Amino acid sequence: MIAFLVKRVGQSVIVLIGVSIIAFILEHLLPGGPAKAILGGRAFPAQIAAFNHANGLDKPLWQQYFIYVWHLLHGDLGRSYKLNQSVNSVLATDLPKSIILVGSALILSLIIAIPVGVFQAVRRNGIFDYAATSVSFLLYSMPSFWLGIILILGFAVNFHLFPAEAPQGQSISSIITNPRAMFLPVITLTLVSYASFTRYMRSSAIEALAQDWIRTAKAKGLSQRVILFKHMLRNALIPIATLVGLSLPSLITAGVVTESVFNFPGTGFRFINAASTEDYPLLLGIIILIGFLTVVGNLLADITYAVLDPRVRYR
Amino acid sequence: MPLLEIDNLYTNIRLKKGEVKAVGGVSISVNAGETVGLVGESGCGKTMTGMSIMRLLPAAGYIASGKVLLDGRDLVALSDDEMRSVRGNDIGMIFQDPMTSLNPCLTIGSQIAEAVALHKRVNKAKAMERAIEVLNLVGMPKPQERINDYPHQLSGGLRQRVMIAMALSCEPKLLIADEPTTALDVTIQAQILELLDSLKEQLGMAMLLITHDMGVIAGRADRVVVMYAGKVVEQAPTEKIFASTNHPYTEALLASIPKMDGSVARLYSIPGIPPDLSNPPTGCRFAERCRLATDQCRTTEPALLSKEQDHSFACFHPVGIEAKHVKVAVKEEAAEIARIEHSERKPLMVLDHVSKEFEITKGAILQRKAGTLKAVSDLSLTIYDGETIGIVGESGCGKSTTGSMMVALEKPTGGKILFDGDDLFGHKPKELRSIRSNLQLMFQDPYASLDPRMRVGTIIREPLDINKIGTPQEREKKVISLLSEVGLSSRAVERYPHEFSGGQRQRIGLARALALNPKLIVADEPVSALDVSIRSQVLNLMKDLQRSHGLTYVVISHDLSVVRFLADRIGVMYLGKLVEIGTGYDIYENPAHPYTAALLSAVPEPEPEREKTKVRKVIKGELPSAINPPSGCRFRTRCERATDLCAQEEPPMASFGTLHQAACHFPLISKVEIRTGASAN
Repeated sequence: MIAFLVKRVGQSVIVLIGVSIIAFILEHLLPGGPAKAILGGRAFPAQIAAFNHANGLDKPLWQQYFIYVWHLLHGDLGRSYKLNQSVNSVLATDLPKSIILVGSALILSLIIAIPVGVFQAVRRNGIFDYAATSVSFLLYSMPSFWLGIILILGFAVNFHLFPAEAPQGQSISSIITNPRAMFLPVITLTLVSYASFTRYMRSSAIEALAQDWIRTAKAKGLSQRVILFKHMLRNALIPIATLVGLSLPSLITAGVVTESVFNFPGTGFRFINAASTEDYPLLLGIIILIGFLTVVGNLLADITYAVLDPRVRYR
Repeated sequence: MPLLEIDNLYTNIRLKKGEVKAVGGVSISVNAGETVGLVGESGCGKTMTGMSIMRLLPAAGYIASGKVLLDGRDLVALSDDEMRSVRGNDIGMIFQDPMTSLNPCLTIGSQIAEAVALHKRVNKAKAMERAIEVLNLVGMPKPQERINDYPHQLSGGLRQRVMIAMALSCEPKLLIADEPTTALDVTIQAQILELLDSLKEQLGMAMLLITHDMGVIAGRADRVVVMYAGKVVEQAPTEKIFASTNHPYTEALLASIPKMDGSVARLYSIPGIPPDLSNPPTGCRFAERCRLATDQCRTTEPALLSKEQDHSFACFHPVGIEAKHVKVAVKEEAAEIARIEHSERKPLMVLDHVSKEFEITKGAILQRKAGTLKAVSDLSLTIYDGETIGIVGESGCGKSTTGSMMVALEKPTGGKILFDGDDLFGHKPKELRSIRSNLQLMFQDPYASLDPRMRVGTIIREPLDINKIGTPQEREKKVISLLSEVGLSSRAVERYPHEFSGGQRQRIGLARALALNPKLIVADEPVSALDVSIRSQVLNLMKDLQRSHGLTYVVISHDLSVVRFLADRIGVMYLGKLVEIGTGYDIYENPAHPYTAALLSAVPEPEPEREKTKVRKVIKGELPSAINPPSGCRFRTRCERATDLCAQEEPPMASFGTLHQAACHFPLISKVEIRTGASAN
């Protein structure tokens, strides 16, 4: 297991280096550049040169890259010229809010999807199964911004049950203390991921229930509840664990659209803003963070896999 | 009052259209302490009967009518909760495949303990103690240490012991064993059957033994119930059913099993296939395939009547004791052997000190060599033109690897294989391809070895297409003639494999193998996936084709009676080594190697008297790993006769007759000097 972890961490580092190189190059291929972005479109060439020199932007690209990586290794993601703030501090305020938003949606969707999927599998091809299948296909095929808008129309505009906008405070506490305003964004994200989780859960539960050892468990005289939750569930959750691990980067990416719809001050919303305002250091920082989460999510999925399934022994 | 009384049980399975009448009015009783064998071919309803007792039918199945009385209590009428307290408590059940019947994510200890905790209402620690106790009872070595193992850490035989421990943990009154040993090797099968017998004695429980294997029944059951197409056709005490068979189906079933003594030259085979139970025929369900059937049989259903108090059967034209048994051709063994010994023998394939090793690697980034799996070690064998060589051995002995090397699918890591005097692997890839057409393989699983999306005609024609033999018209003609040779109609060309039964598919596989007029066919477990009555059809066909095509066969099988039936000479393999080779008579009647003798005594034969009196030399323990095989003689770890010499020195092949050789320091019979000095292997 240790050897496996060492190997996988090694691979992850290589992946991250690749991500950073590609992102770094792409960013420098984009027109404009930080100097113009900061000094304005009508800045004199001399001013731009001075700015570039002061910020090390006149050095060769590979040197700039290594300087960036050097800072990165020290935990410094650079500085957003636009916001005149370090990228670290921007992310430090935004990321926890996104984690709360997407994380609670993730947990909520699992809490709903697992039992519903199991129940669908047990009562396969029954009325409930067909209904739940239709609902999940409907949700699955619906873009999240559309779903968000529909929910706003229904619950905020027509019935005034919930605010149309997410809480606007900068601190985490302002987010947590306003659950009513959090309701619609969380539900939007929940419904979208519920749709795919419940499909996976249903099919892996059906597969597990068809196994011979389920018959053995029944022959022992165990009750349906014990068979489902002690015997079947652990086996059926193995593929779900992978799915959840892989959705770790969605902590940022899932929010890109939904946070914009609800004007939620999180990392996803910040990502969009950074892209449209040419705030390259911030953009790069978020991309690297997404890469990091992807790699960590994969690793966690593999570890969970080994924990759930004793047959899996990584070498 | 019997312990279990099944009274006129009907069980149906719903389909999209209609219903399968899986069990059609079955009445069986089992007394306390008695073993009742329930035999029949697949689809005869024996498993569904067992599942009906436990009320563990598949989702679409239901008990339509009838009673299942356990100690006078009707299980069919119980509520689900009441039934749960019967399962695992009053009735224990063992299933066929120990590989898939245990939950892979839970330790064996917790899987046994949970049944105890449930039914005996004891706490976890007490239940765990009981788990250790029963694991000890079923002969699990060091149960204390094994209790936290997961199923995948155990071998098949040990897993089946865990299954048994689980079923017995609450001391049930009745044990239902559904094909308990079908997935196991013969030596392990013997261990498990022996264990079940002694546990039954110790615990005084009754057993319903469901199996397709007449040999298993013969040695273990007090009474036998024969089922065909959802109905009981005959029941009697074991000795009676074998000695004075009354129902033509029972008779045919017994006659289609190859005998271990090699006395049968041609097997009886029941024509046709069992009826479709979604639309069962009126009248006797066996009538279509019965050699004695009359119009009465086709219109009226015969009732199960008692001839004597303990012997009943459902037939209008019972096979009498005088007009006994279908005629089977008897093999003149002495003449056979003389023919083999004196015939002009031309070697077709020579295996010269052939070895096959697989490297096992370990390590995260650098793939270090961790060991070598010695699948086949230093095997020498000469296959003569026109003969049939049988290779027997347990799983993992290297018999299939040997077969793959013979058809050039695996390259040996040591030694040479000569085919028609040429080194098989000394050719360029292109030349090898043309040689390959002489070497064909017949596969075990007729379901997996035919492409489901190809028509049968295309499947058989493909080898001809690939090798560009003949014009398209000639190929089509060849396909039709091959089909008729294997006994299929030309209409099969347009159909897909799934439209055929297992036996018919195996015929298609045989036709495909024959397409290129091969010289040698390696048949790897050719009939092990087939039912007894179908098996005999395929075995007879293989014999006929050998004669008409001048084929040489290598038959690889774990089933010793099949090999005895087909083969002229038989090689016995153990852990990658050829330990003995000789004629059928040499091997079966006069074995020299202790492993051969033990293997033979482990095979259950359909002869109740022989089985019940047989002194069993059950081989202890399990097959050692081929990664680090024992030094010297590889069998020594399980051999009664082994001494220090066996560990130090590997025994060389020695002669015990003209064609008989074995590798043992302490053989069971004395060695013979062969004057000619020619190697007989």
